[in-house]
Order: sequence, then C-alpha cells, then structure tokens
Amino acid sequence: MVGVRGISAPYIYVCTRMRVRKAKLIPREEYQRMLNMGLSEITRIIGESEYKQEIDELGTTFKGIDLIEVALSWNLAKEYQKIQEITPGNLKQFTQAYLRRWDIQNVLTILRGRMQGAKTGKIKEILVPAGSLDTTALDRLLGEENPERVIEALKGHHMYPVLAREFPYAKESGSFSRMENELFKQFYSEIIAEAESGIKGGNQFLDFIRLDIDVKNLKTLFRLRADAFQEDAREMHIPGGALSATEFSNLNLIKDQGEFIDTLKGLYRQKSLLSLLDEIREEKTIRDAEIRLTRVQLEQMERMSKRNPISIHPILVYLEKKKYEVFNLRALARGKESKLPPEKIMNYLVM
Amino acid sequence: MVDAAVAVAATDLASVQASQLGMKALGAGIAVGLTGIGTGVAEMGIGSAAVGAVAENKDMFGLALLFTVIPETIVIFGLVVALLLLFV
Repeated sequence: MVGVRGISAPYIYVCTRMRVRKAKLIPREEYQRMLNMGLSEITRIIGESEYKQEIDELGTTFKGIDLIEVALSWNLAKEYQKIQEITPGNLKQFTQAYLRRWDIQNVLTILRGRMQGAKTGKIKEILVPAGSLDTTALDRLLGEENPERVIEALKGHHMYPVLAREFPYAKESGSFSRMENELFKQFYSEIIAEAESGIKGGNQFLDFIRLDIDVKNLKTLFRLRADAFQEDAREMHIPGGALSATEFSNLNLIKDQGEFIDTLKGLYRQKSLLSLLDEIREEKTIRDAEIRLTRVQLEQMERMSKRNPISIHPILVYLEKKKYEVFNLRALARGKESKLPPEKIMNYLVM
Repeated sequence: MVDAAVAVAATDLASVQASQLGMKALGAGIAVGLTGIGTGVAEMGIGSAAVGAVAENKDMFGLALLFTVIPETIVIFGLVVALLLLFV
C-alpha cells in the first residue's frame, strides 16, 4: 500500500524497527564500565544483553574468549539475516547488495585460512554468513582442501572472475591485498550500477556508497603515508567517490602532512570531514586517524538517516553500527585476554 | 387561480426544504468521509511505526497504542460537524 508521498507502511515499519534496534546497542558508558572488568565479567554482561541466546547456546561448547568470538559472529550473522527477511521491496535489494561485502570477507578468510593451514573449525568461527553465500555454501567451501579448489567451487559466482584472475599473483606474492582491492572495486562498481539503475530510493543508496568509498579511500591514503609508499597508488584507488584516481595518486606523493591535509580539504565538501581533517593534522598514529575517520563516517551516516528517515539510510546505519559494536566487543575481549591496559584498548574502540 | 398559485408556492417550498435537507446530509457525509480518510492516512504512518516499535520492544505497547489513536480526533471533529449540520 502506497501512502502519502509514495512512502509505504512496510517502509515505515522497518525503519522504525531499525531505529529501536539501534537504540538498544551498547552505549559509550557501558564500554567504559567494561574496560575496568575482567573477561568473565565481560562475558556475563554480554550474556545478559542482546547476545544472551548465543552465549547460552554456545556456553557448553566454548569457553572464555572463544565463546565471545563465536557468539558475536553468530549474533551478527543472525541479525543481518533477520534484517534481510523483514526489509520490503527495493530496501531488501539494496540491503542485500550492501551485505554482499561479507562475501568478500568470508571468501578471503577461507582462502587465508587454507593458505596458512588453519583448522576448518577455527576458520568457521570467524565467518559471518550475511552475504549471498549462506551457511551451506560456506560449509561447502570449507570442505575444500586447498585454496585453488575453494576458488573452483565458486565458479558461477560473480566474484569468480576476479578471484581466478588475481589468485595466482596473491599466491606467488603471499599477499592478498591486491586481490582484496580488486574484489572491493568490483563490489563497489556493482552496487553503484545497482543504485543508478533507476530503482526508487537509489539516489539515497548512492549517497551512502559514495561516503563509504570516500572514507575507504582516505583510510587507504593514511595507511600509504604511514608505510611511506611512494609508487603509483592508482591501483589502490576505489572509483566512485569524490577523489579521482589521479588526485588519489597525486595526494599520495605529497610528503608534507600540512600540505596533504590542505589539498584534501580542497577536495571534500562535507563539513564533518573538513573539521576532522583539521583535527588529525597533527595525528601521528595511523590507528587514531582511522578510528576517527570511522567515527566521522558513522556520524555522517546518522545525519543522513535523520534527513531521510524513511529510506535505506536507517537500515544501513544500523548495519554499520551493529558491525562496530561487534568489533568493539571483540577488541575489548581480546584486549582483556592479552592483559592490555584499558587506555590502550579504548583507542581501538569505535564509540 | 389563487388556489393554483398557492399550490405551486407550497410545492416550491417543499422542494426547497427537501433540497436543503439533502444538502445538509451531503455536507455531513463529506465531513465524516473526508476526515475519515485523513485519519486513515495519518494512522497508516503512526500505526506501522507503532507496530515496528512494539515488535522490537513489547513495553512500548501502551504508548504506541496511544499515539496510534491520536488521529482519531480528526474523524471525531468531522462527526461533530456532521451532527451539528443534521440536528442543530
């Protein structure tokens, strides 16, 4: 049923559900409280929250950090699958398109695991079956003994051509970074094409993708600076955002941090990004810059979802925030297990 | 001749009165009908959001129900106008 201004009731229903779910995410104060707790207390806190069902189910099989890791992955996958079930019409198509990024992560995890000879069970623990490859498909891939067979098993999947083309180089060099880049380039070009195909709500989806690409390109630039990478960085550029490949590669060649930030400021228009660039002018560690960029990205996404309350934005904001909640809890648990001081762990949290 | 004129005038008066009554009924119908549509449109958005919120958090049921019925006032105004038209 289409209502006023073409907004239908199911859209309002889903966007409200996402907003309520977002409100249930762990708040900043809770993380600060958890920073001063031990691993068992953190497990108990997590077990009393939205992760209760997973912690209860897995409590007999896993213990300590493994329990938290697996429970978080299971919960994330369950949450993403549930969202795909309840989203209607075009929103479902956009959500599924956006979640296809997990296919890249899952396939790369399996390939890396196979290359390093990791146990199947251990690889399975960190997979998040949220994309087009469901649990059965991932289990089938996990059943393959070597990376070549994993790629062969993906024949017919849209990732196959890139995997088949890039794997020999990745195997030879021992690094999957170029393959990962190529897969993400393909992913973004596919979802941009989908957003631009004229489907209603595509423009809003496109805004979201562009922001994602911009932040990803910026993060890559900061990493390249940290590594003092002086070759042509064009290959690492993801097209579709505010930066062109030439601008990206020229920016990478600028040695002075101040000049680099000033040039960047001339290329972006988002206010939040501009003020962040000023703040990180003096930032020394790459990790800090990355975390701050992620925070700005989330704030910007939040603003977009308020501007378009009944669109794909509230759904995508929730998907992203949920992802970072899981990352945060994982970082917190891992940090506690490694006996890192709370201040150090806090630097890794996106709050 | 006079009798005929009186008869015609009486018939005209009766038809005017009947027409007035008809117009009142029509006005009352429009008042209730349009406000009903307005209420429906308003409740569509609020209702779907309310169901969404309750699906996630059962504690919101009371508040969600309250918000959902607020647009009912629109149709009540329409009903009041209709009753005033018909009976006052």
